[in-house]
Amino acid sequence: MNKPIEIAIEDLDLGTPAALSESTVTVHIDGKAVDVPAGTSIMRAASLAGTQIPKLCATDSLDAHGSCRLCLVEVEGRKGTPASCTTPCQEGMSVKTQTPRLDKLRKGVMELYISDHPLDCLTCSANGDCELQDMAGVVGLRSVRYEEGSNHLDAGKDNSNPYFSFDASKCIVCSRCVRACSEVQGTFALTIAARGFESKVSPSEENAFLDSECVSCGACVQACPTATLQEKQVIDLGVPTRKVKTTCAYCGVGCSFVAELRGDELVRMVPDKQGGANAGHSCVKGRFAWGYATHSDRITRPMVRETTDSEWREVEWPEAIAFAADRFKAIQQKHGIDALGGITSSRCTNEEVYVVQKMVRASLQTNNVDTCARVCHSPTGYGLKQTFGTSAGTQDFASVQQADVIMVIGANPTDAHPVFGSRMKRRLREGAKLIVIDPRSIDLVKSPHIKATSHLQLQPGTNVAVVNALAHVIATEGWIDEAFVQERCDVASFNAWRRFISLPENSPENLAEISGVAAETIREAAATYAKAGNSAIYYGLGVTEHSQGSTMVMAMANLAMATGNIGRDGVGINPLRGQNNVQGACDMGSFPHEFSGYRHVSDETAREQFTALWGVDLREEPGMRIPNMLDAAISGNFRGMYIQGEDIAQSDPNSQHVAAALSAMDCVVVQDLFLNETSKFAHVFLPGTSFLEKDGTFTNAERRINRVRPVVPPASGLAEWQVTCALSEAMGYTMDYANASEIMDEIAALTPTFAGVSFDLLDERGSIQWPCNEQAPEGTPIMHAQRFVRGEGQFVTTPYVPTDERSTRKFPLLLTTGRILSQYNVGAQTRRTDNTVWHAEDILEIHEADAELRGVADGDWIEVASRAGSTRMRAHISDDIPAGVVYTTFHHPVSGTNVITTDNSDWATNCPEYKVTAVEIRPSSAIAVGM
Amino acid sequence: MTFDYNQQHLIKMANQIAGNMPTRENVPAQIVQHMMQFWTPPMRADLKKIAEHTAELLSDDVLAAVAMQD
Repeated sequence: MNKPIEIAIEDLDLGTPAALSESTVTVHIDGKAVDVPAGTSIMRAASLAGTQIPKLCATDSLDAHGSCRLCLVEVEGRKGTPASCTTPCQEGMSVKTQTPRLDKLRKGVMELYISDHPLDCLTCSANGDCELQDMAGVVGLRSVRYEEGSNHLDAGKDNSNPYFSFDASKCIVCSRCVRACSEVQGTFALTIAARGFESKVSPSEENAFLDSECVSCGACVQACPTATLQEKQVIDLGVPTRKVKTTCAYCGVGCSFVAELRGDELVRMVPDKQGGANAGHSCVKGRFAWGYATHSDRITRPMVRETTDSEWREVEWPEAIAFAADRFKAIQQKHGIDALGGITSSRCTNEEVYVVQKMVRASLQTNNVDTCARVCHSPTGYGLKQTFGTSAGTQDFASVQQADVIMVIGANPTDAHPVFGSRMKRRLREGAKLIVIDPRSIDLVKSPHIKATSHLQLQPGTNVAVVNALAHVIATEGWIDEAFVQERCDVASFNAWRRFISLPENSPENLAEISGVAAETIREAAATYAKAGNSAIYYGLGVTEHSQGSTMVMAMANLAMATGNIGRDGVGINPLRGQNNVQGACDMGSFPHEFSGYRHVSDETAREQFTALWGVDLREEPGMRIPNMLDAAISGNFRGMYIQGEDIAQSDPNSQHVAAALSAMDCVVVQDLFLNETSKFAHVFLPGTSFLEKDGTFTNAERRINRVRPVVPPASGLAEWQVTCALSEAMGYTMDYANASEIMDEIAALTPTFAGVSFDLLDERGSIQWPCNEQAPEGTPIMHAQRFVRGEGQFVTTPYVPTDERSTRKFPLLLTTGRILSQYNVGAQTRRTDNTVWHAEDILEIHEADAELRGVADGDWIEVASRAGSTRMRAHISDDIPAGVVYTTFHHPVSGTNVITTDNSDWATNCPEYKVTAVEIRPSSAIAVGM
Repeated sequence: MTFDYNQQHLIKMANQIAGNMPTRENVPAQIVQHMMQFWTPPMRADLKKIAEHTAELLSDDVLAAVAMQD
């Protein structure tokens, strides 16, 4: 175990955001010359020159507001004392920040603030972390001359939010919280109500925070300069005393955070302003929902049991490892080496994933290793490799700021990737056009200051038909970027694609009835996408989790290549990855047919490299995927599995089938934080580590490799990779690493796209986007800029093939599934936090007409049945969903959503078709699961 | 011949692959290439057995692909 690393953390607030101008001006601040980009505020220029001008309403994450009047300065040749935050620098400007006149003015301003503020600094929860207190000291305020009069000292507290408190008596009405909610988060939940002395911060229309539109991202808390908006943890525990930089373990945005602690007790998580993915913003999960790490349900001691109907027995690590190894060896002897396999987890670090796939390939001597990305983004891997040459999104997140048109397909960024969703919303508020392709009316379709130009509300299962129709319009209207295609793409494949896509069968008119989208709507969207300067596609599991998931990924790639929307800022094909390390788990060789870096196991050159370094012969045939392993288990040929951080009994489709397969195995080893649905079938439980205990790296959806630093020691005493290595050793193959850094060094030695990556480089640079190698030593924010990874871009024809899963008289509705903001995946983490206040159960959204037809009222218990099974949940009548379609989430095991999803899957990758299940619903009694 | 779950799934997968191949030219060769890349040898062997005993469950393209692997 490495000692937790504490590195220098830059806290300096420059007061206003950076100006983006490429030209510079020279100004003199108190006689000191400083060069800054044109448009930079005097306040920021002064900070850069080393002079901190007093401020309260200014902070460098928000546009200048100019209300507190504390940052006044004198400018030579100008009258008055302008606010330095709102006054831009001009060439030759000479500024004084400290004069007797300014001192007097600032002291007067502070005196007014303090005259209406509780004088309880010593007992205040923000003591030592309060900008008001700091500024009182900076201006030298020693007394307040005003007599007691009307004030706000009795204004009440709002403790409705589970994570933060709002104490109106301490509010100075600086509007930082309101501006953070608007500018950074884009929710516009806060406002300043009333005027003058009555002015006050108001969530929605004077609601409590919990009852308002507030999404609890915490941007307001972070922006607040006083103790008005403060984390309850800080109020309870006190101001933090040490900090560690690390990376969030929720979605694929991969936000950087500063963990702030008192001793080994985590007090709060503060998003890192320097974070490449999040630039100082966060969502409710990342900032607040980490309490699961110390939840009483955590299992921190290894456990074994002879049979799955016997009680768990706590044991020491050596016994647990020996137990698992003995069982695995017995299976190998009796059933052969291909009777074992493993699953890696996208929730774990690159280093942890790498050692699991290495153990399976080198120690178990089989390629039966797969990853939970099988059930989410495996079609992305297939489709982008076929067309572009590698399995990765093409852009960095910042690229969206250059997009003129944003097309969101099968994704719900404001719920599932909220920090990137906020970035996207900012660009949309600036005027970029939005096309949404989704059966549901997601929040982006219409939200404050945002309205989609087009919403293609298609029937579930018709993605390929719709994108083919878009491409048909582009090809037949002459909107192809011929120069790009001729220069960058395989022309023969393009010509074949053009012939195919121009066929009448792909016209919007022909596909309108199938897709449910009017031809005219498709034609308008095609024009919007093709005619913009920069058009970018962002997509999620609504693309991949279909029987034609891989075809759809290739169809989108065709669209981008045909219109020249690849290889620069503002364009591209961007998968929004579900979990924190989906990209990394795929990069690390988790798929049964590929080593790290997406090289096929039959590639002799690659195999020889691995054989040489690992010192063991490796198999050249692909191993089984997760569904193949489960099928083989039911057939009796697959008998043991190592499952790292993945609850397949809840998350994988057709739960009954998964349960039958797990039940048929002789040894299931689960490495996880909690007992879960899968561990009900396990014989060995190896306690895992939360992200706060991990040392390693995560790779986010923009290929950004971020450091995950141990904030506290592992609760179980061992890092997860140490446990995997111990099992490998017990199986007869030694994997010897002194620390996680050495694992990354081995990854870099064997993976061309990671060749230049090391912990030292990551600590030095903060993060790196792969490829990072000799050709790109500083990483690659935008891929395929000069040429595609495969050389020329490959067009692939994409005929629409309807899914087998169709609505029938017996199952007339189509169920599609998704995720909501406050919960995450199977809920193992978020269900063990106060996030349940927003979402305590999975609910079925249904259109009013479908509900009325079945006699279902809002809030009623209903039975949802498919050909795979049935479950019960409550109904919510919603106009977000069209008639004929129903929607739910799968965050709660009690609702058993995946009991009803089927074993249909993507033709190329076996990614399950979660997004289309034919169902029927009927009213049900309240005697239901979970009641 | 009766099929276990594994074999039933193989039949479905193979037919689905055949039906989704991007181009309709030389589909059997495309199927072979796909199976060599992503299927284990036992899965390919199982499919061959299925083709030998119950050819009617597999599409013509799949049967041609199985024949090409001999």
